Amino acid sequence: MNDTECGTVRELIPDFVGSRLAAEEVERVEGHVQACAECLAELELAQVLLASRASVPEELLERIMRNSVTERSAPARTWWGVSAAAIAALALGIGITSDPAQELPVEVPGFAYEAEEGEIWSSEDGLLAGAPALDELSDEALLQLLDELTVGSAGGSA
Amino acid sequence: MKDEERQGPDPSDLELVQRGRSGDDAALGALAKRHHAAAYRVALSFVREDDLAQDVVQDAFLKAFRALGEFRADASFRTWLLTITANEAKGALRRKGRRRETALEDASEVRSEGGGPAHDAMMRDEASRARRMLEQLPEKQRLSVTLRIEEGLSFKEIGEVIGSSEGAARANYFHGIRRLRELME
Ligand SMILES: [Zn+2]
Repeated sequence: MNDTECGTVRELIPDFVGSRLAAEEVERVEGHVQACAECLAELELAQVLLASRASVPEELLERIMRNSVTERSAPARTWWGVSAAAIAALALGIGITSDPAQELPVEVPGFAYEAEEGEIWSSEDGLLAGAPALDELSDEALLQLLDELTVGSAGGSA
Repeated sequence: MKDEERQGPDPSDLELVQRGRSGDDAALGALAKRHHAAAYRVALSFVREDDLAQDVVQDAFLKAFRALGEFRADASFRTWLLTITANEAKGALRRKGRRRETALEDASEVRSEGGGPAHDAMMRDEASRARRMLEQLPEKQRLSVTLRIEEGLSFKEIGEVIGSSEGAARANYFHGIRRLRELME
């Protein structure tokens, strides 16, 4: 079985098991795995993984609607409330603190990577014996590794 | 991604985000309906526990909805949300001081989709074995496999979620798949 075809088919496998492929691509995958045991094994693994994915608890959407959707405007109201109070205080000549933390109780929502960035993706790559620490590799090295992996596994019993 | 209850073409995520920004709660609800399952599975792949995963997803949506003003029109809401979810999940793990080894004990609380009557015992064994092996993969490999197979994300999208290039996401995916096949043998 030729490696290029194996590589192409393996790229398609996730979308094949997820029923996201066009008819001719489906035929291409089905035709290939009839003759290639390695790609068939990979397809079966993908099917097992997809079939065993966790089901989503029914109550989750309701919880999001109740909490996340309705609560998201709560800080905005607080902020306006405080502003109004601050303006009122100012109008009455009452000294108010200029501490921005007090004037702005709203935690300005940062983007996903907060201050914890340094810790994010703290690597557990050493967990598996023999698994290279992919994080430390350059993209080029990763791609080369990928080439070796796909060629290595495709050249097996196929 | 289809929403059977809706009539006519589905509004894009971007349209829903824009409506949400101007205070349309129904638009936010539609975004939640569309993406909560993917967010739940991403959260679960970190925290391994149903209750905690649900908390993480709620927090992630809350954070995303509050930050809609910062969402860039050229970005994907899904990858943005999943990135927030992954980081919320990591924060939750840190706060609980849980190690993955102890969290594994909770794995039984999670229900699997393929558990219907048509599902034979052999498939179930195979599936739970694959799940256990998946949980042993390093974080980026695990996320790449989960997002590619279970959620159908492209490698480009996965790269955004895991903070890597598209090529690195692809390498993580194929490396993870290869490890799984070795472990399953
Ligand atoms: Zn092949």
